[in-house]
Amino acid sequence: MSGVPLFWYLMLSFGLFGLGLVGVMRRRNPLLMLLAVELMLNSANIALVGFARQWNNTDGQIFALVVMAVAAAEVVIGLGLVVAVFRQRLALNVDEMSSLKG
Amino acid sequence: MEPALAWIVLGLPLLGAATLAAWPSEPPRSMTRVLGVGPMVVSFLLTAWLYVQMLGENSDDRLVVSRVWEWIEIGDLSIDVALQVDPLSVMMMLVVTGVGSLIFIYSTEYMEHDRDYRRFFAEMGFFVFSMLLLVLAANFLFLIVGWALVGLASYLLIGFYYEKPPAVAAAKKAFIINVIGDLAMVIAAFILVVELGTLNYLLVFEAAPDGLGRGAVEAVTILLFVGAAAKSAQVPLHTWLPDAMEGPTPVSALIHAATMVTAGVYLIVRTHELYELAPYASDLVAITGAVTLFLAATIATVQVDVKRVLAWSTISQIGYMIMAAGLGAYGAAMYHLMTHAFFKALLFLSIGMVIHGLAGAQSLDRMGGLGRHLKFAYVATAIGVLAISGVPGTAGFFSKDEILASAWDAGDLGRVLWLVGALAAGITAFYMFRLLFRTFSGPEPEGGYGVHPQPSRWPMAAPVAVLAVLSLWGGWIQVPRGWTWIIDWLEPVIGRESIPGQQAELVTLATSIAVVAIGAAAAWWIFAVDPARPKRLAGRLVATRRLLEDQFRFDHVYDRAVVGPTRDLAEYLYRRMESGFVDGLVRGAISLARGSAMGLRAAQNGLVRTYVFVMISGVVGLGALLAWVVTR
Repeated sequence: MSGVPLFWYLMLSFGLFGLGLVGVMRRRNPLLMLLAVELMLNSANIALVGFARQWNNTDGQIFALVVMAVAAAEVVIGLGLVVAVFRQRLALNVDEMSSLKG
Repeated sequence: MEPALAWIVLGLPLLGAATLAAWPSEPPRSMTRVLGVGPMVVSFLLTAWLYVQMLGENSDDRLVVSRVWEWIEIGDLSIDVALQVDPLSVMMMLVVTGVGSLIFIYSTEYMEHDRDYRRFFAEMGFFVFSMLLLVLAANFLFLIVGWALVGLASYLLIGFYYEKPPAVAAAKKAFIINVIGDLAMVIAAFILVVELGTLNYLLVFEAAPDGLGRGAVEAVTILLFVGAAAKSAQVPLHTWLPDAMEGPTPVSALIHAATMVTAGVYLIVRTHELYELAPYASDLVAITGAVTLFLAATIATVQVDVKRVLAWSTISQIGYMIMAAGLGAYGAAMYHLMTHAFFKALLFLSIGMVIHGLAGAQSLDRMGGLGRHLKFAYVATAIGVLAISGVPGTAGFFSKDEILASAWDAGDLGRVLWLVGALAAGITAFYMFRLLFRTFSGPEPEGGYGVHPQPSRWPMAAPVAVLAVLSLWGGWIQVPRGWTWIIDWLEPVIGRESIPGQQAELVTLATSIAVVAIGAAAAWWIFAVDPARPKRLAGRLVATRRLLEDQFRFDHVYDRAVVGPTRDLAEYLYRRMESGFVDGLVRGAISLARGSAMGLRAAQNGLVRTYVFVMISGVVGLGALLAWVVTR
């Protein structure tokens, strides 16, 4: 087994996941929150690919491809919602989009 | 013989009723007429065809059980979906569909001005279907199903004018009393299942002589008779029938003539194998019939509502049939059932013409002298009155005399019941002629009729004419010392019935002619000769009149003994149980839901980062728990 060890894959994955998590929790602009979510999804993909390489099993890579497809679909809906909110001339601030709260 | 015909006869009225009921809106009147009357007439024609086919068979081959599939199988008990086609059921089918068809044709005109034309025909068709199921059933279970459906249909039709509180009360009363009978029949069926393990008529009758003890057979027959008494309005379960007059007149005709009240007589004849094993129950049946026929006849003499006079006369006539059935004269009972269907339908429909002509007036005080305006109704009612009174030559004469002659031959009890029956025959003539005189002859009522009496058009007149012919000549199918078509026809079901002896025939003939003549003459002397005389006589018989007008206070007793305490108990339970306990539970559930919701709404603060934080905390917490469990 040559190349980058699994440890570094996981470190990168954790790092990106942490960045994404902080982004989702800190940001209020829905566009940036979507970006952060995308970051978290791709960090998971890196972990999957890393494990797939470690165990010489392509299942993880296939799963990463599926996650990408799902992420694409999610972005379409998320952006659609953002555009819809924008066309209502409302502020792009998720803390103010809370009319369903208890 | 094609037993499938019976299924078609049974299904057609239901099909018509279901189509009418499922029609999305009120269909055109002509369509309602076709869907309402058509299935009935076709059913009647098919029944007639079945009858003709059956005539061609040997009398041993005339009993067919048409089994379609097994419906219920529990342990050894097996219940089939099956119809029993035999002379008895075919005779009942002929009466139900034949008289029913005439009433349906009549109704197309009678109900013309009613808003709920479609509902009327749908419910009538359902009624006829229930009755056909009752008479065609091949086991006690389907008998009870038909029995209960007839009760439901009568409830719907008696309460047809549901805006009128008396109609609703009458419908409720009929239903409750009928359910008492249903309950008794269900218990009887349970006893049969326990003792014999079957509900199939033929198997029960085959096994009964050896399989049922004396006590069991008496219990079963008495319980069945409670059902019969509730349906056939016998004392003390008769009080619903006079109130049932709240329904439209064709409904009364259908309930009284073709369906429902005859079901009790049919039941006793159908299960006569059991009654022959139960002498006490049979005596009870006969005595109940005699008491009923006498009480009802006396009550009918003072009624002021025309339809109530007819209602009490029905109870009285059914009493004759029940008495005959209790004494073992099943052929005579069925014979009277048939002739009664003719002349009672005739009376209701011809009186219905009067009510229709007077735009709904039913009180005898609002009538009088109508013979001049409504000649056709006058003649038709007169024929009906002659027939029910038993004037020689008419239908009622032959059948009633056969019942009385059979009673004369039935031992000491029979002689007593014969006397009661003969006496009541005189009273019957009296009250029926009273009805005739007070409606059609004499002066017009004070203040006129309110509306000008309108003669009826052909859809009402034609069925009345047919029934008039049947009431006049229908009795000739069985003539003492001549021919015995009814008894011959029913022989495969009821066995060879002994014919009353010559002495019984002669005594009955002489007596009945005498009492009918006396009754009719008394009615003529009191009500037709001098218009002021009824009032003078009424002044002298105040106590008797009051007792009769109160209908022997049966209703008062039931109110005091059953209705009142039940209402008090319900009131008590409402106050204590309902408002304290039940409502408390409901309110507690509501406040629990509301309180917990108020507490939990704080969690939904609308900030996405809070949700994310809680989610991540959950994942981390679960992961830590898992790691702790695995590594421990």
